[in-house]
Amino acid sequence: MLKTVYWISTLCLTLIAGTAHASADLPSIQRGAHIAAEVCNGCHSLKYIKYKDLLSIGLTRDEVNTLRGEKSLGDPLKAQMAANDALALFNVVPPDLSLMAEAREGGPHYIVELLTGFAPGADGQTTNRVFPGIKMPDIFGIAQADPAARKEIEQKAIDVAAFLEWAADPQAEARKRMGRGVLIYVAILTALFYLLKKKIWRRLK
Amino acid sequence: MSKKIVAWIDQRFPLSAFVKHELTDYPTPRNLSYWWGFGFLAGFVLVIQLVTGVFLAMHYKADSNLAFDSIQHIMREVNYGWLIRYLHSTGASAFFIVIYTHMARTLYYGSYRRPRELLWWTGQLLLLLMMATAFMGYLLPWGQMSYWGATVITNLFSATPGFGEDIVVWLRGGFAVDDPTLTRFFSMHYLFPFIISAAVLIHLVALHTVRSSNPSGLNLADKDNIPFHPYYTIKDLFGLGIFLLGYFAIVFFKPDLFIDPANNVPANPMQTPADIVPEWYFLPFYAILRSVPDLAGGVVAMLVSVLIFAAMPYLDRSRITGGARYRPIYRTLFYVFVIDIFVLGYVGAHPPASLMKLTGQIATSIYFLTFLLLPFVSRWEEGRLLQSGKLPADVVDMARKEIEASHA
Amino acid sequence: MCQNTTEIPDESRRDFLGALTASVAGAGAIAACVPFVKSMSPSSDVLDKATVEIDISKIGMGQEKTVAWQGKPVFILHRTPAMISEMESSKGGKDPEPDSKRIQQPEWLVVVGICTHLGCVPNKTASGWFCPCHGSVYDNSGRIIAGPAPKNLILPPYHFVSEEKIVIGKA
Repeated sequence: MLKTVYWISTLCLTLIAGTAHASADLPSIQRGAHIAAEVCNGCHSLKYIKYKDLLSIGLTRDEVNTLRGEKSLGDPLKAQMAANDALALFNVVPPDLSLMAEAREGGPHYIVELLTGFAPGADGQTTNRVFPGIKMPDIFGIAQADPAARKEIEQKAIDVAAFLEWAADPQAEARKRMGRGVLIYVAILTALFYLLKKKIWRRLK
Repeated sequence: MSKKIVAWIDQRFPLSAFVKHELTDYPTPRNLSYWWGFGFLAGFVLVIQLVTGVFLAMHYKADSNLAFDSIQHIMREVNYGWLIRYLHSTGASAFFIVIYTHMARTLYYGSYRRPRELLWWTGQLLLLLMMATAFMGYLLPWGQMSYWGATVITNLFSATPGFGEDIVVWLRGGFAVDDPTLTRFFSMHYLFPFIISAAVLIHLVALHTVRSSNPSGLNLADKDNIPFHPYYTIKDLFGLGIFLLGYFAIVFFKPDLFIDPANNVPANPMQTPADIVPEWYFLPFYAILRSVPDLAGGVVAMLVSVLIFAAMPYLDRSRITGGARYRPIYRTLFYVFVIDIFVLGYVGAHPPASLMKLTGQIATSIYFLTFLLLPFVSRWEEGRLLQSGKLPADVVDMARKEIEASHA
Repeated sequence: MCQNTTEIPDESRRDFLGALTASVAGAGAIAACVPFVKSMSPSSDVLDKATVEIDISKIGMGQEKTVAWQGKPVFILHRTPAMISEMESSKGGKDPEPDSKRIQQPEWLVVVGICTHLGCVPNKTASGWFCPCHGSVYDNSGRIIAGPAPKNLILPPYHFVSEEKIVIGKA
């Protein structure tokens, strides 16, 4: 029995420790927010994110004001291109990105792979090794980039993925903070239950 | 003061007598292990699901145009909405983990045996109700997996001879899963938990009539029984603490563990996701369904695979008590069966390529064979064990008495 | 330590342990209610609607416009000089209040359009408002003149952003 207790508490502590440093770094999320709002948002909507939400990842009010232009702080990040225009141009409406980091197997990792997955194909056309036949153009131009530019683009992809990971789950930090408290509380309560149980059952001997 | 109040109530309602009879005096075998705590855990998870469900329903919108957005509204805008939703979505899986363990304990220790058949059957009814509730609840987020899961499962009813197609259309309220399906699933998903609660009461009444089984399988003498409270209340609470550690670890640190990525994409009736899989708790049954080449045959096999548990009191013809404890062959069958279920679960989660298909068919055969062999194996093992002289004397006595009674 | 002691200290220790466990568990149970209670408070998208920006440039002299603020009707009345002078000279009815205390700029009256009697929405008349439910009469300063209503129409918090825009609600 004690072994089980030990095993489970070790598991919990590993979880707590494991997630403590797993939170993506804020500057990367902020850079990703700029790219997402200035580049991706041209075609893709981020409809579950409002401009004011960007304040919570540390963008300044001025930065957000520049990004939002005429729109108000409470407006969602709708795509700048109308859905019908996109349909005419790409034959498909570009998917909303708010949940993209959770909607694909592999999550943020998949996004990085996809954005950096463009390469010149045999026929001179650019293709994507993660998503053959993708309608999205090679927006960062990684297929034609030299090694130095390539490095820069890879960092951009990582930043975008970090931002989308936050966008898909903005409560993650608050959730883990609360979770640590809850687990510590339950561990204490369980220990008390254990002591009390031993005490009560001793009466039978 | 409180004594006066209790006395006032007792004149009008048997409160003290009830507490005494069902808790403070209720005789419980003193040798119950932690495996007997899973019934209490199941009741606790039911309460979690009821409470979180009621609060989610305050913000959820059962409309195919709004459902997906309303989940995101809950996750992002409602105060602690994310917490309540994750408690509920994780709670569904926790419920099945607890119930399957509860069932495994019953099977291992032979707790389904006479006189506990009705207790076992009300439990079976609860399992069926729970499966239906979970299935309907899974449609509500209106993601791709929700949609295609509901499409596939409602389509199973097309195997009904004669008017299969009509039943499917009737169930869906349309020619495909759509808004009418969503609203009726929501209605039923809200209703069923109350039916489950009533069935739990019946389950408990049956339990308190026949009393708990115990690991030895013997009918214990009075001195070996202890009052449920405080001994088992505190033991169950300790078990609950351990359970909550695991449950909260998932809710707060890995809440997407039981949520398929494809369900974060809104339902699209024009496009099926690359590989669709049911929730993990349906995987073994799903594998059985797919292992039979014919649709109707598959549906029947799947139905039988769930319902066959009800026949256990009659399939197990051994009169030696204590389930697997004294019966090595039964124990082997039990472990083979458990491993087989995990194999089936693995098969159910993967596309039916040739090798996977063959594995599924073998595992399905083993699944049914364990049940079909049980009547013969159990009786044969009984004779061997009684002659071996290795059993404790009181176990042999009980078995002999039962054998005599069956001859009389 | 106290393995061989009699039952009495043992019992008292159990009582202490029992009380401690019960209070820790009870505190946890109460804390667990907090998220559920809070989930029923206005969600963040509702709180976003706590203020509303209104363009008043299109409301002509002598006209009234009803706008929604936090789901409630708000009357914005563009008062004529005649109305202003009439209101400034009156003290109101059973809930006397000078007009100057009810306005920020004399031409603009902003009041919550809910009768202080039983919550109906009064209709505009030439001399003020008339509540269709029980016949309360308000003047062009939103003060109760006649009828069962006990109080003047409530003033919402608002401020002028510019000559043409007001924001209703606390920013």
